[in-house]
Amino acid sequence: MSDTDIKKTILLVDDDLDLLEQNKFMLESKGYKVVTADNSKKGWDLFKQVKPYAAVIDLIMEEHDAGFILSYKIKKDNHGKNIPVFVLTSATYVTGFKFSASTSEEKEWIKCDGIINKPVVIDELLQKIETYYAAKQK
Amino acid sequence: METQPKAKVLIVDDEKGLRLGTKRLLESEGFEVDAAQNGAEGIAFGTSLDYDLAIIDLKMPDINGLEVLKQIHQNHPNTVCFIATAFPSFETATEATKLGAFNYIPKPFTPEELLSNLKQGYDRRILLQEAEKWKKEREESLLEVAFEKTRLNTIINSITDGILVINKYGQAVLFNPSALIFLQLPDIAIEEYIIDKLHPEIAELINKILTNKIFEKKSYSKQIELKSNRELFIEATSSPVPHPDGSLAGVVVVFKNITESKKLEHLKSQFVSMVSHELKAPIAAVYGYLKLLSDPAYNLPNDQKINYINRSQIRLDGLLKMVNDLLDISRMEMKVIQREIKDLNLAEAVTSVIELLQVEIKKKNITLEFQVIDQSNSIKADSDEILRLFTNLISNAIKYNKVGGRIDIKIQNADKYILTTIVDTGIGMKPEEKQKLFHEFFRAKNEHTKNISGTGLGLSIVKRIVDSYAGRIEVESEFEKGTSFKVYLPI
Repeated sequence: MSDTDIKKTILLVDDDLDLLEQNKFMLESKGYKVVTADNSKKGWDLFKQVKPYAAVIDLIMEEHDAGFILSYKIKKDNHGKNIPVFVLTSATYVTGFKFSASTSEEKEWIKCDGIINKPVVIDELLQKIETYYAAKQK
Repeated sequence: METQPKAKVLIVDDEKGLRLGTKRLLESEGFEVDAAQNGAEGIAFGTSLDYDLAIIDLKMPDINGLEVLKQIHQNHPNTVCFIATAFPSFETATEATKLGAFNYIPKPFTPEELLSNLKQGYDRRILLQEAEKWKKEREESLLEVAFEKTRLNTIINSITDGILVINKYGQAVLFNPSALIFLQLPDIAIEEYIIDKLHPEIAELINKILTNKIFEKKSYSKQIELKSNRELFIEATSSPVPHPDGSLAGVVVVFKNITESKKLEHLKSQFVSMVSHELKAPIAAVYGYLKLLSDPAYNLPNDQKINYINRSQIRLDGLLKMVNDLLDISRMEMKVIQREIKDLNLAEAVTSVIELLQVEIKKKNITLEFQVIDQSNSIKADSDEILRLFTNLISNAIKYNKVGGRIDIKIQNADKYILTTIVDTGIGMKPEEKQKLFHEFFRAKNEHTKNISGTGLGLSIVKRIVDSYAGRIEVESEFEKGTSFKVYLPI
């Protein structure tokens, strides 16, 4: 992305302020604009306000599935259904239950464009976002 | 009759000469004799005593000999009766036999005739008595068997575990009411083919043994979730039942309700997964900062580096506290058996906690008032636990208070409890936060708590301690106004 591009805005929602800070810092260093919220409600308000290019939401916040609920809400929104939404989780290790959203059926009920395991590898995340838009263009 | 014990004879005859003559004769032969002079007396004697033998005259002025025979026989069926008469007829003989007479003695009789008759009669008497004894014994032992059976049934029916016995053809032969609950069947008919009606996993347990055909002493167990969401969980165990000859007779299945232990197991694994999540969060945060600090690609400015190092320290500090709290919880669970219960003055305990927290109280410029209303406030408790309880509560009252706020602590008696009230003027809680207050790792997350560190275990430890003393804790709170805790500890 060159400096002349209008910065693409990514919405980060996570109740851990430090992780929010770190991911924000790393995404900004890649030239993206980042807005952050530390709970679902603020995340939703911010989403409506800034209409981001992509959203990355932590799964476990005020409730154990708060991330899924917010992503579901965003994907039903007119703007939201056209942007990639990812849910962040370390649940694989915690519950032994592997979340994924790879089949279309899973994407249907989970209502997000992918699950990203913590810690976030920024290059992978960005690749997923751009792949989403590349696939859409076809 | 010298070889036998004295046989008891009743003579019923209205003829005085014959009556006394016979009496004398029989007594000289070793009998014990009673004589009745008419029918009424005969009935009175014969029904009140169980004579071995009775000689009854047929024709008497008051009551007919047959009636006397009837009455005696009704009361003492084993008394061997003779009818004596001077007017024998076929009809009376038949009638007398029907009524239970042993023999018919025509009058007049010679002593030899009489004695020979009585000897036969007495042999008969002994046989009758022996038969009666056997019959009684048999009845008694049958009764005992029946009693044993009812007792066993009562026991089996009282067991809360379910029991189902199936023969080798798959038919039900025995079950108790609890089994019906676990099998979710309204009833079972004995000898009905039952395997089709059972939960497939239970049927499989039974078939494992039945298909074996030969008896092999080996049981099979399985945990089965009958109602989902851990509402009804059973453990079914099938064991083979042998015939006396060692071949396979059938299968006994025992059903145990393990719902509660399954629930506990689930709570435990939930707790473990929660602990892992909570421990992982600070580690991930620190790991992230270290990565940013060490990666030359980012080349952070100095003040940001310092900020990241500080944040890492704060997260590690919180992690350390959490590990300490977790150790406390596990220690507390073990300590139930080995705590040191002593007389403990609550006012002194609270005073020492307040002293310990003086620095924090001053830092926030909080006014603390401590009132001891009733002087007798001793309880029996482990002092470490009670200090921990009040340290957690009072340090919360400081931590979540506003600068320049107030804390009011009061100790008073309340029936069989000592009540300690801790009121703060802090940030308070929303009703939905209050509900989850004592849950492990719950922390109210809002704009006020963002910068307050905590593990989410403090109040859960408080609750554990209070519960372990059969006390109770109540909480009232108003968002942005303050919170009050009431701790009731039994005297």
